[in-house]
Amino acid sequence: MPLRRTLVSAILLVLAVLIELTVLAPLPFPGATPNLVLVVVVILASQFGAVTGAVSGFAGGVLLDIAPPAAGTIGITALMLTVVGYAVGRFAESDDRPWWSIAVLAALAAPLVVLGGAVLGGLLGDPRVRWDDVVVLMLSGAACALILGLLLIRPLRWLCRRVVPDAYPR
Amino acid sequence: MRDTRRSRIILAILVLLSITLIVFDLRGGDSGPTRPLRVAGETVLGSAERAMAGVVLPVRGLLESLGGLNEADQRIAELEADNARLQAELDTVANDRARVADLEELLGLVSVNDYDAVPAQVIAVGPAQGFAWTVTIDAGSRDGVERDMSVISGAGLVGRTIDVGPTTSTVLLVVDATSSVGGRLAGTSQIGIVSGTGRQDALTMQLLDPLAAVDVGDVVVSFGSEGGRPYAPGIPIGTVAEMRGTEGQLTRSAILVPYADVSRLDIVGVVLRAPETAPRTTLAPAPSTTTEGAG
Repeated sequence: MPLRRTLVSAILLVLAVLIELTVLAPLPFPGATPNLVLVVVVILASQFGAVTGAVSGFAGGVLLDIAPPAAGTIGITALMLTVVGYAVGRFAESDDRPWWSIAVLAALAAPLVVLGGAVLGGLLGDPRVRWDDVVVLMLSGAACALILGLLLIRPLRWLCRRVVPDAYPR
Repeated sequence: MRDTRRSRIILAILVLLSITLIVFDLRGGDSGPTRPLRVAGETVLGSAERAMAGVVLPVRGLLESLGGLNEADQRIAELEADNARLQAELDTVANDRARVADLEELLGLVSVNDYDAVPAQVIAVGPAQGFAWTVTIDAGSRDGVERDMSVISGAGLVGRTIDVGPTTSTVLLVVDATSSVGGRLAGTSQIGIVSGTGRQDALTMQLLDPLAAVDVGDVVVSFGSEGGRPYAPGIPIGTVAEMRGTEGQLTRSAILVPYADVSRLDIVGVVLRAPETAPRTTLAPAPSTTTEGAG
């Protein structure tokens, strides 16, 4: 990956992880914590394609898995976000999509990530998974991702195109 | 279409890498191959979170104070009235305080001040979709914090440290589903195991004595681990809200309401050293029914 693309992705991902854990997670909203890292991965994938999408999904996932106060199994979030980044990258590669379709993709991916995390955690014997909360977490996660996506797509796209002129969409 | 073969290979490599991480993390435990990753996370990302919180917390405080601006006038009037009343009461207090100090000494009461604790601010919280109830505090090994120390708030037991970096530590809250604390009904010798439920407003307590007389409203304090670690003795945990199972059944459990509200944690204290003398009665903020010093 070219240097500028890597740099802008890395900075955005680290900022997203920090903001998600220190600003969004402490907010007293019921339901899921707004998954900012997921939204940033989705936007990066839509700008830079499937390879950058998968790599930044993996990187953002590992960061979320090891950033304190993480207590879950390392690798679960990384696995989810890798797949999300790849899939969104492929979707954005196909042809010109309206800008809001990326927010819809984020809103579709968020509940799948919650569900995937719960299923994987359950299969691996995590005693914390509460199935009666999963539906609420999925729905609120989708709503948060949609709102964050609609808010962030345009400014982040502008930033990506300023830094990396050959970013999608051309 | 772009070079899809390359991207598919990269996807496969990253997925395999993630699965490898999961397997190593599950098999390794505390000394496993993923340990350096966690240490790096606690050290590097912990410091970054600390810096971030330094920016965020004043802004949050400002927003909260702006929200309360309208109510401020009314609040001032209330406080002025309170002030006048308290001033009148103050004269009698000095006398009472001397008597209270004597009585406390007599009963062997320990106040929260007797715990040698380092104050810390909660700077980060785990995402709800991770199901774990953990927070990061801005005190670490440089402040004398070590693994497995009790964390308390003004209200009661909050949790224990599970991971310590140079300037930050991760706290496992009592309500987390993997947390369990030895508890004692204040003023009695009835003990049990208090476990988290994953819900912020409920704990379960498995009583060891099936015949124990437990009433709704009874106060549960920490039993205390050997050497006061991970849990120092005598810290209030919660009150009994409900009993499950009938008397004499093999296992009886109580549902407790924790004193510490983990959804609004701000300043907490990490207990470096428990008091020399074991507390005899409850430190509970709520008045308890027990006055005799058992335990």
